[in-house]
Amino acid sequence: MNALERHRRLRAIWASEPGMRGWLSTVNHNDLGRMFLLTAFVFFGIGGLLAMLIRAQLATPHSAFAGPQIYNQIFTMHGTIMMFLFAIPCFEGLAIYLLPKILGTRDLAFPRLTAYGYWCYVFGGVMLLVAMLLGIAPDAGWFIYPPLSGAIHSPGINTDFWLIGITFVEISAIAAAVEITVSVLKYRAPGMALDKMPIFAWYALITALMILTGFPPLILGSVLLELERAFGLPFFQAELGGDSLLWQHLFWLFGHPEVYIIFLPAAGVISTVLPVMCRTTLLGYGWIVAAAVALAFLSFGLWVHHMFTTGIPHMGLAFFSAASTLVAVPTAVQIFAWIGTMWKGRPELHLPMLHILGFFCTFVIGGLTGVMVAVVPFDWQAHDTAFITAHLHYVLFGGFVFPILAGVYYWLPHVTGQRRVFRLGEVAFALVFLGFHVTFLAMHWVGLMGQRRRIPTYAPEDGWTAINLISSVGSFVLAIGLAMILIDVVLHVLIAARGRRNPWRAGTLEWAMMTPPPAYTFASLPQVDSRTPLADDPHLAVRLARGEGYLATPREGARETLCVDIASGRPDMHVVYPANTRLPVTMSALTGVFFLSLLVKFYWTVPLALAGVAILACKWVWGNGRREDPEPVQVREGITLANAATARRSPGWWGTLLLLSADATFFGALLFGFAFLWTVAPGWPPPEWFAGAMVMAGIGGFGALIGPAAMRQAIRANRRGDTALPGIGLALVGALAVAAACAAVMVQTPAPMGHAYGATLLVLGAYGLFHAGLGALMAGFLAARVLRGFTSRVRQAEFSIVSLWIDYLSVIGLLVLLAAYLPGFLS
Amino acid sequence: MKDILRILIAPLLWLAAFSAVYGLLGLICGHGIGGTVLGLSLPRVLLIAAYGLAILLQAALLAALYHPRLAARSGFVRFVSRITGWAGLVAAGYTLFPVAVTSSCL
Repeated sequence: MNALERHRRLRAIWASEPGMRGWLSTVNHNDLGRMFLLTAFVFFGIGGLLAMLIRAQLATPHSAFAGPQIYNQIFTMHGTIMMFLFAIPCFEGLAIYLLPKILGTRDLAFPRLTAYGYWCYVFGGVMLLVAMLLGIAPDAGWFIYPPLSGAIHSPGINTDFWLIGITFVEISAIAAAVEITVSVLKYRAPGMALDKMPIFAWYALITALMILTGFPPLILGSVLLELERAFGLPFFQAELGGDSLLWQHLFWLFGHPEVYIIFLPAAGVISTVLPVMCRTTLLGYGWIVAAAVALAFLSFGLWVHHMFTTGIPHMGLAFFSAASTLVAVPTAVQIFAWIGTMWKGRPELHLPMLHILGFFCTFVIGGLTGVMVAVVPFDWQAHDTAFITAHLHYVLFGGFVFPILAGVYYWLPHVTGQRRVFRLGEVAFALVFLGFHVTFLAMHWVGLMGQRRRIPTYAPEDGWTAINLISSVGSFVLAIGLAMILIDVVLHVLIAARGRRNPWRAGTLEWAMMTPPPAYTFASLPQVDSRTPLADDPHLAVRLARGEGYLATPREGARETLCVDIASGRPDMHVVYPANTRLPVTMSALTGVFFLSLLVKFYWTVPLALAGVAILACKWVWGNGRREDPEPVQVREGITLANAATARRSPGWWGTLLLLSADATFFGALLFGFAFLWTVAPGWPPPEWFAGAMVMAGIGGFGALIGPAAMRQAIRANRRGDTALPGIGLALVGALAVAAACAAVMVQTPAPMGHAYGATLLVLGAYGLFHAGLGALMAGFLAARVLRGFTSRVRQAEFSIVSLWIDYLSVIGLLVLLAAYLPGFLS
Repeated sequence: MKDILRILIAPLLWLAAFSAVYGLLGLICGHGIGGTVLGLSLPRVLLIAAYGLAILLQAALLAALYHPRLAARSGFVRFVSRITGWAGLVAAGYTLFPVAVTSSCL
């Protein structure tokens, strides 16, 4: 088969449907990555327009440009859009587009999940935009502190839009994080051991793991606050055993790692682009990986530095002050490694390099002011002033927007296959750089002079007029610069000047294919022996197109790739992907109905939407299987691999494990909240302890213990070739027993609306009940699969996955029962 | 996966220890735990004991990462896991040092 014939056959297998149908049914990472990025930049534009409105308001004293109510919505939506609808999705889009190519594979681990995440993001984002257009957007600031955001002080629907819309959008982040983690760990080119992974993949892996552990506390906080607003469960009301500080803890447990979740992918872009711009290799690859890991973990120990003024004991302040200063060390390791890379190489001032230099100037200043506010006495003075707003913009614009613009200009020839004709980008960079620094240096200054953040106006005698005017002028220069970048990119796309395949002479794999990239990325998968395979073999792209790699022969219309061993990169599984489908968009629409029903308090559609999602989820998984044992596939001459369905640790198992990690973080945050309220909140102990029937605890405990044992018995029976149904049935009974015990906790909990204790037990019971229902559904589903012949001694992957869920149910079931029964028992 | 765990384990242990000591401080202050042991303030003794334990665990983990039987086979993973091991130890020593010098519940 020649290269052209291979291309035609692969294109027929991998192509999306034509026209609008293709938009809705595509599961290909090329399409979805571009759609993610485009949507994220649309939101960036909207957020930027809101920023202009803020600066117009503050340009002069006593401004009547917007009244306080609208102004509150403007700055809340600006922060919300930039953090949740631009920065994170932009990372997701970049990772989705880039990772399969840079890792040397054909797609991400779970293509339909990518599509589901994208549509959740779009629908959730649109929900927030509609609120803004209707003038009922969130207005309590992007971190939406109670009691201001509680039902008493914010009675309208505005805050509900934030809580429900953002939770909806976060499904997308969790989906992408699972996807990215499994892809980096398992979906790499043969031979790509951990030490040969492109540095961007390391950053993406670390960021995805951070999302899995950083986002659940915010989801929990949003759920609790919405429950308080909708049903009066008083988690944040001090007079009823709640505490508004609990929100701050949950929010910043997410919010501080979020800063690094935004910065680390950008650092990945810098680490990838900078060596190419300097015609050298990255200095200190191992040190950078270690520094990124250290930074990720340290970032989870900084959350209280946002709460230095809340009356926390001095020792607590000192812990977090120390951690906040320490985080500068791994950041500096990366900065110095990049400076060393420039020193080692021969920097060429192409447009991406200009943005990288912009990053250096801006981010280092942001980092240094970060160390200033990490010092408690200074923070007490600067807290909630414009100085903090300026600091965070230096960190986020410097640490994310400049690197992403560098990435845009670096990979744009890859996305379009074209080259830039006009030199508009250089002028635009100069305007962005100058405009940004004028805006935010001035803001530091006015903050130190005492201007509070988020004020709608000020008086001339405050002495801030000239500085604010300078800042506003700078912001409009910045906006003009960004608009010019947009025009430059549009011109690049519209003026079809064909570019070279690898215009930067880069060494990473994404350039070893035709551009724009075909849906299948590589005609055959490369064998990798170094971090820069394309630099080692400049003809790699041609050799792969000729079929001199793995999986060179298209088979039976199947979308094929292979998985590798995590550490060594040795090929270990053959994978067949699902084809185009509208299932993800339909399921995300139904998920949207669920959230929308909660928002408008139209509760009878909630169970309908949930049932719809469950049915579609079953359909989703049902279509995966096969009723005959797959034959091992020859992926290259002399190398034969078994299908993933036969593996105990299939990609689905890894995905489940990671999803459960996020779930466990959510549950851990809930237990933390319980312990926090008990220890710190006023109004404890509660007027009445839970005193449920011990027999229900016994039933629940029995169910929790019997489930995992039964699943193991089922797995053993399946391996022997015996029927697994008795074991699965017993696991189902165990899940139902846990469900009954958790339901009993919910029913018997004392006055959930009267005290935070009862409210917390209600949520714990509901969490257990939900997971027991999920466990029962999965056991039932597995039984149906066994009955319909979708499993065999060889096809065992589904058993391991259901077993993981049953194990998890067992652990959380016991903990829920312990948390419910133990305090009452001891008292 | 073991190699990934080797890289992540030391900072993860630091995070657990850091959270645990902060939680212990919360318990001490929230429940008004006081009193003395051998003439020393009980809260201070508890916090310093926790601090010492955290450092000990980090040091033991670092030693394990250097041990030929437990260290990774891959030179790269060995290198990175040892750096993160040192990072965990230094972080434990530095970030929890306030237990020795600052007032606990003021």
